[in-house]
Amino acid sequence: MKISDLEKLKNEGVENLPSSERRSFLKFGLSVTGVFLGGSILSLTSARNAQGIVELMPQQAQKFPYSPHYSMVIRQNRCIDCERCKEACVKTNFVPSYGYRTTILEMERETSPGESERIFMPVLCNHCNRPPCVRVCPTKATYKDKKTGIVMMDYKKCIGCKTCMAACPYNARYFKEDIRAVDKCNFCYDTRLVKGEKETACAAACPADVRVFGDLSDPDSRVYKLIHAPEKVAWVLRPETGALPNIYYMND
Amino acid sequence: MNIDQRGFARFFSVLVAAGLLLVLAGGQAVGEEEYDEDAYGPQAPIVFIAPVKAVVFSHKTHTMDAGLECDSCHDEIFQMESGSTEQNDDFTMQSLYDGKYCGACHDGETAFASNTRCTVCHIGVKGFDRMQGGQKTDAHGGHH
Repeated sequence: MKISDLEKLKNEGVENLPSSERRSFLKFGLSVTGVFLGGSILSLTSARNAQGIVELMPQQAQKFPYSPHYSMVIRQNRCIDCERCKEACVKTNFVPSYGYRTTILEMERETSPGESERIFMPVLCNHCNRPPCVRVCPTKATYKDKKTGIVMMDYKKCIGCKTCMAACPYNARYFKEDIRAVDKCNFCYDTRLVKGEKETACAAACPADVRVFGDLSDPDSRVYKLIHAPEKVAWVLRPETGALPNIYYMND
Repeated sequence: MNIDQRGFARFFSVLVAAGLLLVLAGGQAVGEEEYDEDAYGPQAPIVFIAPVKAVVFSHKTHTMDAGLECDSCHDEIFQMESGSTEQNDDFTMQSLYDGKYCGACHDGETAFASNTRCTVCHIGVKGFDRMQGGQKTDAHGGHH
């Protein structure tokens, strides 16, 4: 392609690529699922106060992009790293020992001089509304399911280039040797949800009720209620990437 | 009290506090004792792996540091024989909330409540593996 032709191309922007350091938290809270969430997202500004300041803030939830809009709320401080979620996932989705669809991260946080607390953080695919992995896949082997919003894999189309693995801000993908394709969490869509189960294997196996799975567009669902609890602080991982993840974190 | 007096009073109180700290630290150094397993129980931490992996209990924290006696817990709340408590079907968080086992003290009054600060005792599979010496890492942990 000639330079003169390149100049005529429309700038694709960077919003779908990871690590673009944009931190417009409130705007993010608004656009995360196309709705305004009742709690204080990321706690920098209380959403209630902000509502008074910004007149254009929508009062009611608008239409969700997906129905059911699957998401998961992780009540982080309840996690004790028993890893039953991992075991259940491996068993349900035939995950080999060299990979994972979900795992637990461990952190040590200093609470006062000489004292620290251990934090376990379950992680999995965030089923982003603007998934960087989907954006970079050259064969459209990974795609956003139009109905549920689940980021799915079409293994037949995957050529194993691993670009999606590099693009994912959450390190949620691995290359599965025996099928020669990238594998990832799909909220147990094929193994449980289509069979009528209401929960993912990891959420069902959790003894501490850390992982709450459900339909964010349903006001009667637990995830909706947790996310909309007025004084509850919810956060997401790596919001600066602009990927608009659907895995929310909160304490209790 | 004028400003000078107040300044002096503050200076004096700081001196007193510093002195107290010195005395306390000195006392600690003098009173530092060897860990006596006969008096304080086994030094190695007790690790429970049932019903979940894993929970750690330190005799030192509870006896030498907190001043509990052996018979504060043995044999009424916990059997002495190692591994025996884990075999009980009711060795669960719910039992703790009902005042059994750790919950006898960890009720929010005597000691922090059993339904708070989970990871003080729960070390997880990772903590357990670390105690066993072998540190497992996640398979695709090093991609980025």
